[in-house]
Amino acid sequence: MARPRNRSLTALRRSLLAVVVTGLAAAAMRLRSRGGVPPQSGGWRELSGPELR
Amino acid sequence: MRVGVVGLGAVGTRAARQLASSDDVDEVVAVDTRATRIREVVASLGDRAVGALDPELHGLDVAAVVLAGPAGSHTELAARHLAAGRHVVSVSDHVGDVQALLGLDAAARAAERTVVVGAGFAPGLSCLLARHASDRLDVVEEVHVAKVGTGGPECAREHHRALAARALDWRDGEWVERRGGSGRELCWFPDPVGARDCYRAALPDALLLVPWFPGVQRVTARVGATRRDRLTARLPMLRPPHPEGTIGAIRVELRGKRRDASEVVVLGAMDRPAVAAGATAAVAAMWVATGRWARPGATSLAGVPEPVDLLSELARRGVRAAIFEGVTPTQG
Repeated sequence: MARPRNRSLTALRRSLLAVVVTGLAAAAMRLRSRGGVPPQSGGWRELSGPELR
Repeated sequence: MRVGVVGLGAVGTRAARQLASSDDVDEVVAVDTRATRIREVVASLGDRAVGALDPELHGLDVAAVVLAGPAGSHTELAARHLAAGRHVVSVSDHVGDVQALLGLDAAARAAERTVVVGAGFAPGLSCLLARHASDRLDVVEEVHVAKVGTGGPECAREHHRALAARALDWRDGEWVERRGGSGRELCWFPDPVGARDCYRAALPDALLLVPWFPGVQRVTARVGATRRDRLTARLPMLRPPHPEGTIGAIRVELRGKRRDASEVVVLGAMDRPAVAAGATAAVAAMWVATGRWARPGATSLAGVPEPVDLLSELARRGVRAAIFEGVTPTQG
């Protein structure tokens, strides 16, 4: 005899699965990907001459 | 003049090489626990180097000693060299080491010798840059240090430990502990390192800077790390550390007032961390041993009387500082 399906339990299982899969995907992306770099203006210049005297 | 170098890892070997190539130094005593390593280093340094297995250098007339052994082991050895009348330069970036070495201040004053604490890349050159940058300001309100990259294996281990330990910040006149690995900031380092994410960690820079900037409101230090570094920091190291890291960089940002206007000064340097640390430690050792830096007590490179002269000497040895000119998101 087939067991009656418990709809709320099935929904709970699916929700948990979705959360786990999403978490794994987010963790993989966070660990593997590189973030974008905001713009900057200006740059580095070596100290020389009077600045080192 | 004879100078000892205790610990022949990536930094110690570079320091010994810098010392052996200096006119002020007649002989370098290279010390390590590994006889084969001593032989290799002494052979590469030529006639001006001798080897020794005794880290206390008993019976030798040595003016100054560079301590470049594993972090966490410097204090007791420094006290013994101090008692033997030698100047001491430590490259340790371990918070416990730095606190204990600064605690040798009274003993160093009594012996009329100098203990230079944290004389590597960061801390070390970072403290020197902070001191130099402060000359461009009338009032220093904040100092923020960031570093990226590691030297030898011991440095990599310390980097791993530091990310998992409590960070120490100076904020509004008191010490504040923060969780290591928190406080992400995007910091721009000199090219080609560029922008890196940096986080709080157990770094001793604030301990070394605060005494030299009276009235400073905030002093922080951050280290460049990847997400993987942060994730695995609380685990044992999953693979052995590399023999030596690649290019690293430091960045020192000072905020304050100049002629009553707010001003930000950003200085930095880019090099292999072990190379820059070795050069910095060697020059510091020569300066205290020859009396060019005659200040008895325990101090950091932020306390050097003529930062420009020391920076010039480092530049002559290939360790060059840079200044950021432009607009960048501020750190803090």
